Amino acid sequence: MSRNAPAGGRAVASNGTTVTTSSSLPAISTEDMCPVCKTIRYLNKDMEFLINPECYHSMCVNCVNRLFNDGPNQCPYAGCHKTLRRKGFRSAFFGDLTVEREVDIRRRVAAVFNQVEDDFETLKDYNNYLQMVEDLTFDLVSGTDAQRRAAEATLQQWELEHKADIERNRKAGKEADEQSRRRLAAEREAARQRRVEALREAEEEKLERARSREAELDSLAQGDVGTGAQRVQLKRRGQAAANRAVEAAVNAAVTAADVGRLSIRGLKEKKKAPAPEGPYDPFGGMDFVPSRYKLRAGLTHPGVEKYKHDPAHVTGGYSFDEYATRAMFEAFAGLGVFIEDEKEVGIGLSAGEVATISAGIAAVGCKMELD
Amino acid sequence: MATEDARYRESSQYQLWSFSPTQLAAMREKTNAAARASIAGRLASMPPRASTPALPEFLTPAEEALLVTFNTSELLRAGDHAEMSDEIKATAAAFFRRFYVTNSIMTYPPTEMLMVALYFACKAEGVFLSITDFIKTFGRENPEEIIAGEFLLCQGLRFAIDVKHPFRALRGSIMELSALPDIEPARLAAAEHRAREILRFSPLITDAYFHYTPSQIMLAALSLADRGLAERLIAETFHYVAPPANNSGADTPASSGPDAPAPSRRSAPRSDGEDRTQIIGSHIRDKVLGTIEACRDMLSKELPERREHWTNKTVIKAQITPLRKKLNKCHDPERWNLVELQRARREQASKKADSEDGDAEDGPAGGTVEADGAVFGGPLPRDSKRRKVGKGLDDPFGPAL
Repeated sequence: MSRNAPAGGRAVASNGTTVTTSSSLPAISTEDMCPVCKTIRYLNKDMEFLINPECYHSMCVNCVNRLFNDGPNQCPYAGCHKTLRRKGFRSAFFGDLTVEREVDIRRRVAAVFNQVEDDFETLKDYNNYLQMVEDLTFDLVSGTDAQRRAAEATLQQWELEHKADIERNRKAGKEADEQSRRRLAAEREAARQRRVEALREAEEEKLERARSREAELDSLAQGDVGTGAQRVQLKRRGQAAANRAVEAAVNAAVTAADVGRLSIRGLKEKKKAPAPEGPYDPFGGMDFVPSRYKLRAGLTHPGVEKYKHDPAHVTGGYSFDEYATRAMFEAFAGLGVFIEDEKEVGIGLSAGEVATISAGIAAVGCKMELD
Repeated sequence: MATEDARYRESSQYQLWSFSPTQLAAMREKTNAAARASIAGRLASMPPRASTPALPEFLTPAEEALLVTFNTSELLRAGDHAEMSDEIKATAAAFFRRFYVTNSIMTYPPTEMLMVALYFACKAEGVFLSITDFIKTFGRENPEEIIAGEFLLCQGLRFAIDVKHPFRALRGSIMELSALPDIEPARLAAAEHRAREILRFSPLITDAYFHYTPSQIMLAALSLADRGLAERLIAETFHYVAPPANNSGADTPASSGPDAPAPSRRSAPRSDGEDRTQIIGSHIRDKVLGTIEACRDMLSKELPERREHWTNKTVIKAQITPLRKKLNKCHDPERWNLVELQRARREQASKKADSEDGDAEDGPAGGTVEADGAVFGGPLPRDSKRRKVGKGLDDPFGPAL
């Protein structure tokens, strides 16, 4: 997090491109002297340099306040005609202002071109996209004026056209960030809990040890040296061992649960769940509503009447309606299935078109039957 | 599309075991040709004996079909003898006929397979007889004969073990009809009795189970028993456009088959986009009537009175005995004995497990999956899955049949 002072002086070319010219100016001058008011650090201990991302010319806080407090003003650097505002000034994160500028540009481009790999059909497409973005960024960072303008135009056009996509991706990214942040926090919390637990246990153990020692001393003081004390001792020890065993079991359970909850960093987050397909249909969408007949109540047959009073059938819960349903289904199933047509021509085709052929077939069939 | 039809289309009976007459005839031709080729090859590779001629005369597909039908009637008689329920007998008959669509009667012995089908149908219908009781009923001693053919039968059925029957459907239709006010119960009872009689025999001995759905078979049988009732039921069901006074569709000449309503479709009022018209409109009613008429035609060739025909000694002597003699000469030398066949296959399997070379040059194991698909005239719906499993496990569906 340490902030290096600018390593070299910066001159501004007429076209506005920042060019490092560390050789033309002594390093000490920019490090300790404001290029605008020429104040040196010797005179002002907490002198701070600010830049404006419009042109990346650095100046001290005093100059910024003095020049821009009354509203927008021109950059005080000779030859730089950018209009700057007070609000735009900030301290540079990087010592090297070219790096600062490149990072800014990259941040901006990344905010617009924020597609992820999942948005692409193939890896090749994604790679091509990355290549395109990188070319554009390079043009913006260190292209010629024309290239920069073209890249800028492309960027703005893309932003305009894909506003919705960008917004969606931004939200998704934010969510992912949020999730990973939460997970990390949970992990940290769990680790802290474990530490606290361990500390408490150590404490308890120490207390326990002291208590048993006390008891030992007490028994010695009372003087009944012998089997009783020994037994008490043994019992206590056994108690402790039992306690330990119980605790170990509890701990094992806890660790097991932890293992179950253990999350591994770097794992791919699960993609969004597939759209629900509705309840599973074991019959593959087959319709069981009869279309040729109606299942009236009271359908019955003389042949099943006698079973309706037969305990062997009635006790078991046999449903005579089921029998009627099945008999009715079988009476009408396949009534409209014309095997000859369907096996020769195909389901749903009428034999009208192939009537002559079929007549021949029928003739053959009759002959065969005579055989 | 009507929901009931959609549900029926999910059944294995529809997906695997429903064919148009041409398809079925083509499959039988193919099975016959394949059996001829393989039996000829096996006979040629046998050590030549002085008495046997070079190659016997094979059965034609028509002769095979006749033998299968005869054996189906034998199967139904055997079921009657063992006092089995209608469903078991019907399932057994369906199994038997399905098995001999993709397997030739020259390859596997029909009399053995008939017993196997009966025993397995008991299991399929939830009646678990002990094998000793079962063979005792038929006066046999060796349970191996039945057990040896069981897996073979399953393979032949493509493991489609559920057979949909029209018996319960008949009860459903009677329920629906008895709700109508103007039909006296005595007539209903008589019609049901007769229709059930027909359902017990006629559809089982013909190809009706391959060509029609259970409800169509049921209505055809009902129409044979009491034409008015069947037509009434259809008229009540397909009521969306007011039913015409005379049921013109019912009088369709049977020779034109299920496609008879095609011309009448143009005259029928069409309201496209109207779902109900598609489900219970008059156009579909005419089509259903035509189909039922065709089914009725098929059933009327084998009415229950024909039971006597198939047990008539003179008929058997004139038609069946020569075929049996022919069959005795031309049957498959390797596969005719099911017990031997199973023993040989087991030995082969254990040998394979020992060596674990995964070599597939042993005779019957070659190219099974493709052959299975080809037999059905196209890839089966589950072929891809089967292929995936078959790679590692040496085809769990067994060797070629």
